[in-house]
Amino acid sequence: MATTTATITLSSADLLSDNLSLSATMSLNQGNTTATGLEQFRMERMVLPTGTQFDLIEATTAATEDANYMYICNKNTDVTDYVIISIKDEVIGRLYAGDWMFFPWDADVVDLDANDSAVEAQAFTHEAILEYCLFHNGETRPTSDDS
Amino acid sequence: MATTTATITLASSDIGDNAISISNTATLTTAGTDTGLTETTGLGRKKFASNSNIILLDHGLAGGIAQDVTADKSAKVYVRNINDRGDGTKFVNILLAAVEIGRLYGGDWMFIPWSGGSGKDIEFTASDTTETTLEYTVFYE
Repeated sequence: MATTTATITLSSADLLSDNLSLSATMSLNQGNTTATGLEQFRMERMVLPTGTQFDLIEATTAATEDANYMYICNKNTDVTDYVIISIKDEVIGRLYAGDWMFFPWDADVVDLDANDSAVEAQAFTHEAILEYCLFHNGETRPTSDDS
Repeated sequence: MATTTATITLASSDIGDNAISISNTATLTTAGTDTGLTETTGLGRKKFASNSNIILLDHGLAGGIAQDVTADKSAKVYVRNINDRGDGTKFVNILLAAVEIGRLYGGDWMFIPWSGGSGKDIEFTASDTTETTLEYTVFYE
């Protein structure tokens, strides 16, 4: 069993009239278990061209109804560059240059409106350098065309 | 202008043959600028005991903060399920405009950008009626 932790720290000295300092740490565990850590992950750095919405991570039956966690970071530096992240064609939000996001992921292959739960990404203004990491509890591999 | 930062650290010494350690800090700015976000809901905490669908951030609420969050603006949402993990079978489904994003088990948190708009509420549905506590905050322009 692996132990993987995710820690967030939100801080500001001047957003409020007093300091903001919030920190939380979670362990990345499998679903329906008390403390069994996820043992699989996939990490990539890629260049996403503009103009088309791509599947960043495709939905997978093996991870359905379980605990999966997705981290995405836009490594661009021009503040006007952004990437729109969507699931089931529903826009979650824009990741501007330097932004990151971390969220649990429902990997259902078929769900509402028969759309799958692929994590979709589309770059605007310029191509985007993305780094992402998926921590998961299994992926259904496509059968090789050569088999 | 305020300076607010969000830092993530992902770490494991045994998920692979080598340890992994990913760390990044984002400065929360308005859309397409390097000007810091100046508004926040502050940190909220809400208890509930229902497995019905509940709106956490209501974009259609007149005068509500979510009304200021539109698709071309910058907003970040933090949500944490404060419950103990328990036996690992209880969770909160987080939805955006009725589309399921994923499950927050006890102790889990998420941090996402949010493109608001008509009907784009952030909602949740608990797996059962056990009392669940969520903490959340929004930074927005």
